Amino acid sequence: MEYAIEVFDLTKVYRSEGKEIKAVDHLNLKVEKGSIFGLLGPNGAGKTTFIMMLTGLTLPTSGSGKVLGYDIIKESLQIRRKVGLLPEGFGFYDHLTAEENLNYVAALNDIPKEERRKRVEDVLASVGLLEVKDRKFGGFSRGMKQKLGIAQALLKNPELLLLDEPTAGVDPEGARAIRELVLKLNREGKTIVLSTHLLFEVGPICDSIAIMNYGRLVLQGKVKDLLERLMAEEGYRIKIEGIGEVGAFAEELSRIAGVRSVRLEGKAVHVVAEKDIRVEIGKLSAKHNIEIVTLELQQPSLEDLFIKYYKKEGLSYA
Amino acid sequence: MPSVFTVASKEFSDIIKSKRFLILVTIFVLLVIVAQGTVYVSVSSSTQRALPRGFLGSIAYSLVTIMSYFAPIVGLALGFDVISGEREKGTLKIVLAQPIYRDMVFNGKFIAAFLSVSLAVLVSSVVNVGIAIVALGISPPPEDVVRLIIFMIFSILFAMTYYAISAFLSTATRRSSQSIIVGVILWAVFVFIIPVIASLVASALVPVSFTPQNITRSNATTFRPPEMQQYTSQMAARAQISSLINSFTPNYHFTSIAHYVLGVYAGAGTIAGGRIPTAPSSSASTSLVMNLFSAWPNILVLTTLTIVLFIASYTLFIRQEIR
Repeated sequence: MEYAIEVFDLTKVYRSEGKEIKAVDHLNLKVEKGSIFGLLGPNGAGKTTFIMMLTGLTLPTSGSGKVLGYDIIKESLQIRRKVGLLPEGFGFYDHLTAEENLNYVAALNDIPKEERRKRVEDVLASVGLLEVKDRKFGGFSRGMKQKLGIAQALLKNPELLLLDEPTAGVDPEGARAIRELVLKLNREGKTIVLSTHLLFEVGPICDSIAIMNYGRLVLQGKVKDLLERLMAEEGYRIKIEGIGEVGAFAEELSRIAGVRSVRLEGKAVHVVAEKDIRVEIGKLSAKHNIEIVTLELQQPSLEDLFIKYYKKEGLSYA
Repeated sequence: MPSVFTVASKEFSDIIKSKRFLILVTIFVLLVIVAQGTVYVSVSSSTQRALPRGFLGSIAYSLVTIMSYFAPIVGLALGFDVISGEREKGTLKIVLAQPIYRDMVFNGKFIAAFLSVSLAVLVSSVVNVGIAIVALGISPPPEDVVRLIIFMIFSILFAMTYYAISAFLSTATRRSSQSIIVGVILWAVFVFIIPVIASLVASALVPVSFTPQNITRSNATTFRPPEMQQYTSQMAARAQISSLINSFTPNYHFTSIAHYVLGVYAGAGTIAGGRIPTAPSSSASTSLVMNLFSAWPNILVLTTLTIVLFIASYTLFIRQEIR
């Protein structure tokens, strides 16, 4: 397995007004090449500090790490050559146009002058901003600004993209456009790390996630595996809606082997079982002459996962 | 690897196209026109229309006075948001996310500021001298031209000293508003507060019992040489104390250098925060080399202060965490 990012015991302690604040606390993390990795957690969880350490903009207090095989402390310049970073709370020069801003970034990346124009136009086209290339950055909407931020990260044709809060402050339509862009870039072979507190915005497109809080890693793994594990731990939730006398049906349901609980809610019956018992439910409904309208296995969502592990840690998720 | 000039050329272009810079240069040019107008009126109204102090002597006062205010303002205006502004706008994050060393950013900005300050000083000095030539109707002799060029160089150094102060504040503080407030307060302290304190301290330490008001031709009988000598030595002691205190301001060193370089400047005691040190009233009569030699302690102080502040800002910037 090849990893784009590997960090070992990475720790960052800030000193402020005589106090020590552990922004990142002995973090061990691996991100597979070619994946979309979601770094989730509330504001102040340490996500941004972690990303800043990966690119050498902040030095770790202890621990080590590699990005695309380069040491994060000794070879940060090489990392910044190959990694596109969209920092949180970034900005461009308001008085310059989108194209001028990108030209400057291209110059800082030492892209030859004769190539710059084409490269800039290509990335502007890929984020859908080519038509507004002559508009000043100051007049851009939040969504357009984020897209231009992604465009500058793409200028160097990076192998790895680190996007810190890419959808923050962006309207739903803009957020969807950014998600689609991320998926497209991933299909082109780029590894993408999405750091966000907005789980619903990016969670569904991630292959793997890590949840952070107070600088510590709460959970890490492939989304599919984590959801399966949660389902096994929490039980299979089945929702049944039917026409007929559901009272007796519900009572008999509770006697099926593996059923943990049955709850009646109007005409709906909610079952939690250790396994998928939809076949048994079908048979029982026939026996009770209940016409099933809905028989739904409710998959746990990333939100369920998020909340469960936060509760487990005794933490709150705002 | 991109060069420092990638940053410098972008910054220079930003500065010279900015409203801030254009407004400053415009205001300065207007001030120069007014000042030279005054010189012209003064010369025109004199009966002999002569220039007893020569070309340089006629324009030096306005040149030094205006530059002693203009250079610090240019320096402060260009430096107050040099780092904090980029931090506030988030542009620093984008710039530092690129494969460049941090010193390139800082050095690039410093080069751009140096070029912009030089341009501002050059424009203002050329306008000043140009108007003077037209108004006075004479061309400056070659030595005056050389002295004016050297004065311009030291004006640039003076402006860069204030730029270095401002850049340091901008690097050390989180917000540009804090940086500009502290910068302006420092400037006011150097220009207004310290000279007043210097004067008060000198007066307190060396009280003068005798005032020479009664020394008049009509009242020659009251002329008392011993008191006069005592008065002269007391005033010299006061001037020494005052100079010592004023030497803590960059303005003092600039006006001192200007005095030595422009030589014939014989204006009143205080200009923008510094009493002119006791020096020959007609330095132009001595050689330029000698003048520069006399001014070397002041040159050294201004240069050292600028370099130290630059190194301090640079070190601070390199070590700062990007969060």
